[in-house]
Amino acid sequence: MKTLLRSQDLSCPSCVAKIENALQKLDGVTNAKVHFNTGRIEIEHDPDAAPTAKLVQTVRETGYEAAVAAF
Amino acid sequence: MKQLQTWWQSPKQRRQLLTAISGLLILLALVGKYLLNQTNWHNGLMAAAALTAGSDIALRAWHSLRQRHISIELLVTIATVGALVIGEYWEAAAVTFLFLFGAYLEARTLGQTRRILQGLLELAPTTAIVLRDGRQTEVMPHEVLPGEMVLVKPGTKIPVDGEVVDGRSAVDESAITGESIPAEKVSGTAVYAGTVNQAGLLKVKAIGIGADTTLARIIRRVEEAQEEKAPTQRFIERFARWYTPFIILLSGAAILVTRDLDLALTLLVIGCPGALVISTPVSIVAGIGRAAKRGILIKGGEYLENAGKISALALDKTGTLTVGQPAVTDVVVLQTAVAAGANGGTDVMERDKEQVLYWAAIAEAGSEHPLAQAIVAAADSADPIPVADEFETFTGQGVHATYLGHEIGVGTTDLMADLGIAVPTTAQRHLEKQQTEGKTAVLVALDGLVIGVLGIADQLRPTAPEMMRRLQAAGLKKIVMLTGDNARTAQAIADAAGIHDVHAGLLPEDKLNIIRQLQAEGHVVAMVGDGINDAPALATADIGIAMGAAGTDVAIETADIALMTDDLLKIPEALQLSRATLNNIRQNVVIALVTVALLLTGVLLGKVHMAGGMLIHEASVMIVILNGMRLLRTREEIEPGSSLPR
Repeated sequence: MKTLLRSQDLSCPSCVAKIENALQKLDGVTNAKVHFNTGRIEIEHDPDAAPTAKLVQTVRETGYEAAVAAF
Repeated sequence: MKQLQTWWQSPKQRRQLLTAISGLLILLALVGKYLLNQTNWHNGLMAAAALTAGSDIALRAWHSLRQRHISIELLVTIATVGALVIGEYWEAAAVTFLFLFGAYLEARTLGQTRRILQGLLELAPTTAIVLRDGRQTEVMPHEVLPGEMVLVKPGTKIPVDGEVVDGRSAVDESAITGESIPAEKVSGTAVYAGTVNQAGLLKVKAIGIGADTTLARIIRRVEEAQEEKAPTQRFIERFARWYTPFIILLSGAAILVTRDLDLALTLLVIGCPGALVISTPVSIVAGIGRAAKRGILIKGGEYLENAGKISALALDKTGTLTVGQPAVTDVVVLQTAVAAGANGGTDVMERDKEQVLYWAAIAEAGSEHPLAQAIVAAADSADPIPVADEFETFTGQGVHATYLGHEIGVGTTDLMADLGIAVPTTAQRHLEKQQTEGKTAVLVALDGLVIGVLGIADQLRPTAPEMMRRLQAAGLKKIVMLTGDNARTAQAIADAAGIHDVHAGLLPEDKLNIIRQLQAEGHVVAMVGDGINDAPALATADIGIAMGAAGTDVAIETADIALMTDDLLKIPEALQLSRATLNNIRQNVVIALVTVALLLTGVLLGKVHMAGGMLIHEASVMIVILNGMRLLRTREEIEPGSSLPR
């Protein structure tokens, strides 16, 4: 499943690798991509092993607020 | 308490709270020192401020470290701890506070550039009323099924892409086209999701739904464009990748060589290439976002940079410079007796013209030929066109019909010869005159007599001369017209538009060769076309611009720049916006590089210390962001042409 999060908090591109790493280390996440310019976070994951709420929580733990977006 | 807990759990709000407390503590410390002469409070309060703000920075540094990532936060944390150890409480407090406060301001302002798209997202409709089993049912827009009838009430958003089947209204399409004047919608016209129905009730047949709407495609396209890295950005990022490790090494060297801890810590503080890494993205996001709002879709940063460098422009004729549909431009009356009940003056002239068109239209009404449609459309404004009793087409020559015992012929001289009708020399002269003007001319005969000549031509878009004026005012020297049409027609259109460089009678590969030749002459070439038959030339040009892209997915997906409307004036606007963005990027890169150089020099010479270094660093980031945001300012009130150098 592919989920899209949007964050308005990204202020320096250095956070990109940090968020991507944190997400990719989760079980059930196959791919995570953070787009600094637009604040989009694209995640490919298995919704059973890594539910959407868990993704939001993980991003939050790295220090950034994000919310699920339809498109 | 619960309120406080939720606050604490949201990283954003927690950071705001910590920044505020830290700032307050610093303020108290300063008041204590300078107004109340309580210097002993001062250090304690400053240390508390540093710990308050520093706690969040340290936490994030720790998270990064766990991901094996040396972050800027780690450098700042080390610097702060170091400053506290050597007793520089004020420096520690200032550095941590400025770091948090700067990040807050930056995220806030950057959010504004990002939000220009948010505006588009908010346009996405939230509900739809569909007719199911004869009843009105409210559903989510993405739950509408293809082919279903959707009711759109006045003042609400159209929830799907589709076709009007009933009703009449004006629709505000500015979201899609950037055009502020509402578009007239009647049965048969296309409507787009996200546009606003202003006047009447519309019944729309759903065609595109949810992610398959023009609006969704635009948003997707624009975001992909903003995320794509421009060449400048790639260059800067290569530079930035080496910058931080270099500064860390320099800091280490400073301790070993000079034993100057203050210098080493200050170097750590300025170790973030903030303004540099943000310089290009902020301009690109702002430039592309602003363009999208004006109905100009730019494929990405690279294209924006290229478009800013365009030195030659090639324009396709049919459908680009012209409307793409033939229309009757001239009606010549040869037999003044055709009008019954003539009463003198110019009235007679008008009546006669209407009569010529009327008879021609009766004969042409049954024909599918584009020229026939032009004639019928021209006659439409007069009386309703009756249906001919008999009708026959002569391929390549014209048509012959009978109506109420009258014989009508519309076509070439060959047709008249076949029908046994003599063509008078005056008619011949008019025919030739029309042809030299690049028009298609046909003879109209009634009951064996040639009564008139019709001139039919594709119409130049009325904004074409103004577009040329603005392009030339913008300093674009080389503007050429490319067309597969014959030289005479091409020249007529070019003259009317004010284009001097005309290439006519071209095959698609000829167009491509002309583009190549321009490139060989050293030009950066843009090509404007309709996206399908100009495909090879569009692909070869440095920038391919497609017009009237709303509703045509191919154009949105493939063109480097897609103009949502047929408005030619969007071409100079796109050009100008690209240049403005390119300039903005250059300014930002210069600001960032100069700041880094000055900061580094200042620190190494011992003129700049921790707090000052952080302040200059954060200020430069803000300047870069604010400079980028200038691109968002609407300049609609100013004529785009007037701000150009003459």
